[in-house]
Amino acid sequence: MPQTTLDEWTKESQVDPEIRAHVYSLISALGGIGDDGTYALGDNALLCLKDLRKWLKFADGQLNRRDVARCMAEANLVKGDLLEILAKISEKVLHDKLKHRVAVASLELLVPLTWPFEIDPVEATVNHHRHGPYIQLAQIGYKRAILQYDRARILQTAIRIALPSMAIPLRERPLRDEGIIRIALYFIRNIAMLSPPSNVPMDGDEAEISRSATIDTFHEQDIFQAILSVASSIGDEFVTQDVVILEILFYLLKGIDAEKLFLEEKKLSTKNTEELKSLIQKEKAMLASYARHAPSRHNRFGTMIWVKRDEDKVSTISGQDVLGKAQKSMQKMDRTKKWNKPKRPGRKKDDEQSREEFDLPVPMTSSARKRLKTFVEEFLDSSFNPLFMHLRKAIERETDRVETRHSRQFFYLASWFLRAECARRRTIKSKAADQKSAEALTAEDESYGLVAEVMNQETFILLNRFMQKSQDEKAWQDLNAGMKCFTQILLTVQEMSESALEDDQEIAENIQNRIFYEESTHDRVVNVLRSYNDQGFGYLDACTELSHVFLRMLERYSKQNVDLQVRSRKRARKIRKKKAEAQGLDNDEEGHVSETEDITAAQRTVSDRKFDFTRFAAKFVNQGSVNTFVSFLKFYQDLDTEQLKRAHRFLYRVAFKMELAVLLYRVDILQLLNKMIKGPEGLDTESPGFKEWEEFVRHFFRSVVKRVQDRPELVVEMLFSKIPATIFYLEHGYDRELPSRT
Amino acid sequence: AATDSGLGIDEEIKIVKKRQPIPKLDDNRLLSVGGVPRLRRICKERLRFKGKGHEYGDVARMLNMYQLWLDDLYPRAKFADGLAMIEKLGHTKRIQFMRKEWIDEGKPKHTTEIDSDE
Repeated sequence: MPQTTLDEWTKESQVDPEIRAHVYSLISALGGIGDDGTYALGDNALLCLKDLRKWLKFADGQLNRRDVARCMAEANLVKGDLLEILAKISEKVLHDKLKHRVAVASLELLVPLTWPFEIDPVEATVNHHRHGPYIQLAQIGYKRAILQYDRARILQTAIRIALPSMAIPLRERPLRDEGIIRIALYFIRNIAMLSPPSNVPMDGDEAEISRSATIDTFHEQDIFQAILSVASSIGDEFVTQDVVILEILFYLLKGIDAEKLFLEEKKLSTKNTEELKSLIQKEKAMLASYARHAPSRHNRFGTMIWVKRDEDKVSTISGQDVLGKAQKSMQKMDRTKKWNKPKRPGRKKDDEQSREEFDLPVPMTSSARKRLKTFVEEFLDSSFNPLFMHLRKAIERETDRVETRHSRQFFYLASWFLRAECARRRTIKSKAADQKSAEALTAEDESYGLVAEVMNQETFILLNRFMQKSQDEKAWQDLNAGMKCFTQILLTVQEMSESALEDDQEIAENIQNRIFYEESTHDRVVNVLRSYNDQGFGYLDACTELSHVFLRMLERYSKQNVDLQVRSRKRARKIRKKKAEAQGLDNDEEGHVSETEDITAAQRTVSDRKFDFTRFAAKFVNQGSVNTFVSFLKFYQDLDTEQLKRAHRFLYRVAFKMELAVLLYRVDILQLLNKMIKGPEGLDTESPGFKEWEEFVRHFFRSVVKRVQDRPELVVEMLFSKIPATIFYLEHGYDRELPSRT
Repeated sequence: AATDSGLGIDEEIKIVKKRQPIPKLDDNRLLSVGGVPRLRRICKERLRFKGKGHEYGDVARMLNMYQLWLDDLYPRAKFADGLAMIEKLGHTKRIQFMRKEWIDEGKPKHTTEIDSDE
């Protein structure tokens, strides 16, 4: 056996040498530096491209391997050949038939190569895992090469390749042209979608492939215009392209703060300075609180103290930082314990979900923000309604091209654009208030018609069904998107009802009628809130926000409409009983089938009844929802003012409005609240919400102390979540008098 | 077989050392003398509240009582961990029954009065 180096050995074992040889020979036959120093196509370049595509399709696709993709990555096919080819012929693509075909062929190769790599747990072989990291990094390299390519506009070329096909009217368009449009759009999507993998270390400059860079390039190469023209004529000239456009938009917009997008430059910079200021302030407060407890002498000073405990026991603690501070020594005693309660391993996130993660904020450069803002405005003006209506219908019909992820993306984007529209209206309004300009009129004139397509009954039905389904199937990310959308709809309706136009107010009234009419909606919101269990912070944020907004608006609405009716599902026990009796008398076989049907029908009986807000609010206040808000509050150091306010309002409602403070009498909650106010590592005392919290906690603690003195049983009960049987007694000190039956 | 190898004297007896079982914070421990009964006793001796104006101090003192009690009961666990474990135990049938008992002990005896009336 001949001696080999380690490098060769690893290479040999990973890719079938024969495959490598074939692919390499095809790539070298493709072309190279010609006589004039630029790229020259090989004699049979078109055939080579087709062959390469076949290799990728058959060797990788059918044998379920990734060898060819890896070979192509190693051979620098994309940067060395494909981009060169596209750059060379981009000018002639529209006129020269042969060149057009070459361009299409290279695009057909580029699309599968940039197709985001994912490991399908069912299909994947060892081979996938072996090549995964390499290919992912290579794809990031492709993205960088395509975005930063300096001699030609690659993305624009891709669209130009599809232009002749787009020009053909929909009815006369052959399949092949549909296909070309599709690959061009998928190419754009792939570029928007590719992002540095979280599990593979990156080298190189991430700024070159960041979202901002993508947006800048899209702007420079007029991709936004192409997206807009496809999206605005969806339904007329384009039908199947709606989901691709949806995905492009999703990967462009996810994680971007729609509110910030519409802040004016000046305001934004002041806001950013404020943010920086508050961060510095936060850090200062943190350091100060550390310094308060830091040792004042060197670390070998060697103090040791005794803590006297009952029954003549003592505990020893070392370190002079605890001298004379009883509270501090208690904390140190606890902190020095070695054992930790074993935690259940967290929920596994599959790859697709982590890529679609839309709760992570994305930073943007100011130029990208400006460009994106223009795009979003134009999109709202021209394309939002047609595209979202078309998509909604496609999702309702469960068309083949619609996959499960698309409904999630649909609802996320719907919420995003609603937010953007509201933010835009607000900025216009504030501008109008500032100066009597022409814009003052437009602000008041425009109704909410631009986003009307997601505010109609059909969407509500779809959204309700979607939320119910994802809750039943435990698809939490889906539910998260659904909740965000619902919250945003509520907020938009709210702004609409405050609009100056009477039509808008009327419509808002109508929508609220419809939203609040179904009692099943109320129940769902309550259920989602109380059944939170470890679904991650984004979900926690969404479900607390939804219930906060929902409850607040329902309260206001039911105050305005005192005689609000809701449609509830009544359990018709009586009917069922009667039916059962009748069946018992008949006692025949056939009746049995119809009996169950009758029962289900009887149970589904729907009836209107008067809505009672206090009873509904009482449903909201239970141990489950308290636990959810407490786990939300545990993140108090990372919450912003608005989120802290939300938690504050809820706890306030529990403790003082509903008089169920007993739900909060638990040692862990007391400890959390105490830590928040008194530290160490508490809330920043300078922060805007601190006063409110301090006040609340003081009130609450006073009630705790009083209650414990009144009823010493509470000392034990404070260890546990309360059981329904004893809640009433603990709260009031006497048993509820049951209505006696005569 | 024992006779063949000389009464088995030559054979080495293998001693498999059993691992010391880790003490658990379970309902038995919680209901033992050092558990809830002790908590019920010490809260009467220890808890002295100063009342209005001293809310934070009062609650802090109460939390300290719990922490020391838990440290005596189950020294392994940190305060927060121990609380979570006990809270979970509170969902079991047995503890729930006991909790009701403890509460009923503190209640004024309504039932007997009503009985005597009738």
